Amino acid sequence: MALVTITNVWKYYGKTVAVKDLNITCKDGEFVSVLGPSGCGKSSTLRMLAGLEHISAGDIRFGDTRVNDLEPKDRDIAMVFENYALYPHKTVYENMANPLRLRNESEDTIKKRIAFAAEMLEIEYLLQRKPMELSGGQKQRTAIGRAIVREPKLFLFDEPIAHLDAKLRARMRGELKIMQRRLGTTMIYVTHDQLEAMSMADRIAVMNNGVLQQFGTPQEIYNHPVNEWVAGFVGEPPMNFIDCDLIEEGGGFYAVHSAFKVAVPADQAAKLRGALKSSGVRMGIRPDQMAISLGQEGAAKGSIKITEPLGGDTLVDVDLKGAHHVLVKTDADFRGQMNNSCSLNFDTSRWHFFSKETGVAYF
Amino acid sequence: MSSRDAVVYKTPLSRIWTIFTVIFIAFYLLWTLLPLVIMTFSSFKDLLAAFQLPPVGAFSEIGLFFNFTPTTKHYYNLFVNLGFTTYFLNSIIAAGGSAIISVVLGSMCAYALSRYEFRGKSDLFFWIISTRMAPVVAVLVPLYAIFRGMDLIGTQAGLILAFTTFNLPFAIWILKGFFDNVPYAIEEASMVDGSTRFQAFRAILPLVAPGIGAFVILCILFAWNDFLFASIIGSGGAKTLPPATVELVQPQNIQWGSIMAAGVITTLPMMLLGLLIRRYLVTGLTMGAVRE
Ligand SMILES: Nc1ncnc2c1ncn2[C@@H]1O[C@H](COP(=O)(O)OP(=O)(O)OP(=O)(O)O)[C@@H](O)[C@H]1O
Ligand SMILES: [Mg+2]
Repeated sequence: MALVTITNVWKYYGKTVAVKDLNITCKDGEFVSVLGPSGCGKSSTLRMLAGLEHISAGDIRFGDTRVNDLEPKDRDIAMVFENYALYPHKTVYENMANPLRLRNESEDTIKKRIAFAAEMLEIEYLLQRKPMELSGGQKQRTAIGRAIVREPKLFLFDEPIAHLDAKLRARMRGELKIMQRRLGTTMIYVTHDQLEAMSMADRIAVMNNGVLQQFGTPQEIYNHPVNEWVAGFVGEPPMNFIDCDLIEEGGGFYAVHSAFKVAVPADQAAKLRGALKSSGVRMGIRPDQMAISLGQEGAAKGSIKITEPLGGDTLVDVDLKGAHHVLVKTDADFRGQMNNSCSLNFDTSRWHFFSKETGVAYF
Repeated sequence: MSSRDAVVYKTPLSRIWTIFTVIFIAFYLLWTLLPLVIMTFSSFKDLLAAFQLPPVGAFSEIGLFFNFTPTTKHYYNLFVNLGFTTYFLNSIIAAGGSAIISVVLGSMCAYALSRYEFRGKSDLFFWIISTRMAPVVAVLVPLYAIFRGMDLIGTQAGLILAFTTFNLPFAIWILKGFFDNVPYAIEEASMVDGSTRFQAFRAILPLVAPGIGAFVILCILFAWNDFLFASIIGSGGAKTLPPATVELVQPQNIQWGSIMAAGVITTLPMMLLGLLIRRYLVTGLTMGAVRE
């Protein structure tokens, strides 16, 4: 078990910068997810933690030990690779036994640990097969098995369940989380799937282009994104962004757009004061933070472009006057039709404002 | 992943092609096997019987060829009177020794060349294979001088060293290609599992087994069949089968029977080796272990 500290870490591949000045601290036993789009430097970060990649600059510490110059075998970690990396000439059983054999565990222990892992991963019936005879999902589960048979200080998982089908993935999310809680082992879990990160992690590190954007609990990331990019990346369907002007009128602030003029609650006004002088702000609001109604009574007026019933609820694509599309999530029994006029009411306690130039959140 | 069974479609052209192939193979078999058959039969024949051949074109009298009382006196003569037991062992030691040394050094060197980037790597690699470009005769005289200076002429060690000099670049060249095809990820997984760099190298050796198998065959074949090195550097104390066989050709007495028997005992082990190692030559071991 370990406290993992990443301090001012950079990673260069030749001239390409994969990771820029990264700072992350994971507490002992914490489940930290590294979330970001493809190519943002997630795997590079994980591989530096594993000791497979040279750290271009900065320090990584496990507890009090600086591990920059430690070989992978001396770091006491278990890793699940993005591309499985199973031993092709060994059976599933021998693949999972390998880390234990290298540590001279007894055959009894090996058998017990593998039986436990295989049961959890539902691969008991595959134990005697070779990797070539497995499907992608089965390989991935074998790779997870190889990592969890040990009791390492730190788990490093690189998109471990990306290749399972939706149902199995949902179950594995739960299983992995339970397993991590039970073992109490620090986990760093790389994924590009925000649902995985949100549902499993204690804290999420959101990365883009090699730069850490925000590091916080799933609730913080979701409810208080630090910038427009994080706000847009996290949440499904994504947050709506609407450019509007901010004006001061009769002691209060108003967000003004050709389709609406909405008063900003007093407690938010203070944080927005700085934005008054700028050329405008960008308002962000999630699809489920608006109420839609047919007719023109609501604050923002528009018309329905298309409705997408999803079973449990309905997504409505609304055309606001002024060429803005807004996606609204509403009940399944919403009866609007294409081209009906409609209006929206914003939940002003939960909307966000971002600087138009820098994307930084005012709140 | 694609299936291993290739789909074959039959067309008239492909049928003609098949017939042509069968005829070609039949002739080819005749061409390669006939000398071996004649050699094997002759080695069991008395000298007189060996030269009893039917007249040219008389195929009905072909039975004459098989009409003889088998004798093992040539083999007896070889092993008991002519000391071929020693030559046979010398051949095995020289071929096996150089194969083992070349495989061990060659695989480590090929691994390093495959995995590490360093300045001058391609030059180094070219230099290694360029040592195989010169014909053996071209270097034989200087090599002889060097070996004599080091007292290696006529010793097993000298012969093994000479063969290794020629086999090692070859080993590096073949094995590097095989190591290049093994994904890094497998070694990385092994190192994360807790192995040292050297253990990780050993962990991927089974994946290059086809390469090692192919190389061992070629290396042993080279040493086993070699005449030049064996007669010049190995002459005397480390005489192998080929020079020993040539010595059976004496000006006043060519010992045909013994020469045939020597031919058989030289050929047989190589055939057995080929059968033995065949299954290692099947490639495709790494398929499916890593997501491409
Ligand atoms: N060995 C390498 N040599 C050169 N550039 C590399 C190498 N590995 C990664 N990169 C680059 O570094 C950047 C970050 O790569 P990385 O693999 O960390 O991304 P990632 O976040 O894991 O993406 P994905 O979700 O697709 O796995 C990318 O721009 C990539 O092109
Ligand atoms: Mg990656």
